[in-house]
Amino acid sequence: MRIGRRRHIPARAALAAIALVVLLPVFLTALYSFFSPGEIKAFMETRGSFDAAKWMEIKLAPRVFSLSQYYNILIEDVSVLKFLINSAMYAGAILLGQALVIPAMAYALSRFRFPGRDLIFFAVIMLMLLPFQVTMVPNVLTLRSLGLLNSAWAVILPICFAPFYIFLLRQFMVGLPREILEAAEIDGAGTFRCFVHVALPISRPILGAAVALSFADCWNLVEQPLAYLAEQPRLLPLSVMFNQLTETSSGVEFAGAALYILPALFVYLYFQKDILSGIQLTELK
Amino acid sequence: MFTRKRAVLIYLLPGLLGLTLFYIVPFVGGVWYSLTDGSYKNAFVWLDNYRNIWKNQMFLLGLKNTLLLSAICTPLVWALSFGVSVLLNRLKPGGAFFRNSVLMPYLMPSSAMLLIWLVLFDYGGGVNRIVQALGFARVSWLEGAALRIPVILMFVWKNLGFSVVIFLAALQAIPEPLYEYARLEGAGFFRQAFHVTLPMVVPSAFLVFVLSWINAFKIFKEVYFIGGAYPDESVYTLQNYMNNMFGKLNYQNVTTAAYSFALIVFAIFGLLFLLQRRLLKNLS
Repeated sequence: MRIGRRRHIPARAALAAIALVVLLPVFLTALYSFFSPGEIKAFMETRGSFDAAKWMEIKLAPRVFSLSQYYNILIEDVSVLKFLINSAMYAGAILLGQALVIPAMAYALSRFRFPGRDLIFFAVIMLMLLPFQVTMVPNVLTLRSLGLLNSAWAVILPICFAPFYIFLLRQFMVGLPREILEAAEIDGAGTFRCFVHVALPISRPILGAAVALSFADCWNLVEQPLAYLAEQPRLLPLSVMFNQLTETSSGVEFAGAALYILPALFVYLYFQKDILSGIQLTELK
Repeated sequence: MFTRKRAVLIYLLPGLLGLTLFYIVPFVGGVWYSLTDGSYKNAFVWLDNYRNIWKNQMFLLGLKNTLLLSAICTPLVWALSFGVSVLLNRLKPGGAFFRNSVLMPYLMPSSAMLLIWLVLFDYGGGVNRIVQALGFARVSWLEGAALRIPVILMFVWKNLGFSVVIFLAALQAIPEPLYEYARLEGAGFFRQAFHVTLPMVVPSAFLVFVLSWINAFKIFKEVYFIGGAYPDESVYTLQNYMNNMFGKLNYQNVTTAAYSFALIVFAIFGLLFLLQRRLLKNLS
């Protein structure tokens, strides 16, 4: 072990440099959220100067360590908090919808034999390959005829049937050992009990991975709200609001960003093992 | 395998209903929009819409930028993630910290990263300090064609980790005896890389390439964050065009643009698929 560690010094150095670059933006955002709003405001106002003699300061420590950005957002002026709550509402609703629909469908596509199965799976793959610019059109046509445009449902409903997660779960469930499910059947379990008490628990890695990846998507919604909620700015999630926040710096934007990162960070830490093993165990080809 | 018909329906129905309602039926139905003129008579105009859109400057600009950005981002993510996963694979069983830190941005909302991006890429920001320290002139990253660089870097930053995980899984699945055998036969590092590693990772490499291209085709978030809702011409993507047409309720243009793009996407993936089959045949 010790010899191995010494041998890989160049690889370690390269990876450390990459990790540093990758983590730096997150670290700096967290750091700047503890600056006082006045200091951040002054700092952000030095942006956009094209004077070749001037630099923006490199700030690595606040003049005064301060929680007033957080105080501002959470208590004084709750406009940012409202958008944060919108984001949470979308993420919660979408994950709930996906949980009700997608595992069951993946289970049917992987464990049952019925006419049309391959055709359905083929359609799922084709839809998965299409970029959002294309699939948004059929979504819009349906949403319009249902009269759901400019309501929260427009953002939530289409994503509940996201083809990528059907594909991901199906590919994992195909690889589940058949013996376990057959044993459960012989023991008298119906298809429902097989599904809930056997198939779902042993699919835990891919379910965790899917939850984490899907949460990351929902938490970073941009295209859908911009296209579907153009007339309802109240309903926008925070992810599309950072543009406006930075245009006129109020000094609290970094705390907003840090608060926005925090749930994603928890989800990541909680599910990181599942993401790794879920993807490793899935026959993706 | 179960064969009971009724049970299948219960599992399948909710998902299938949604897919049919939101994706499949309107996808087919939308073809009708792209073939009619949208006036109150809604006359059937055959392929006129397609002919018009292929002359439309803004559509072509968006298409060009989307293809260009995705054609830069995809190989970049692909090559970088392969390099990182080879490095990580050499450290096994260690290296978990590095792997986790590379994966983390995939779960991070890039919207929240916008602020720090604007600070770092400012004319007087950290990136330009490095540029000048290296002996080059400062660049105004947030204007004109240079805008592409922060956009691409944000995309790569976010999407690198997922590809690394897939590559790493493929590399770790290569049985060690294969290398030992190759070494016994007198194969050096490069021959091992070409004759053992490469054939074993080609399917995953193909998968990573396709997945990151799917991802790169919808590149827009980064443009919206950094370039704003009405970005510079150099980063005006197809999604900008779609949003614009959508805002004007021009469903004829929206559908026509979408189907034109779908054809291009499928043509590219078809080509890639053929290429992969050819490559696998040659290697084995």
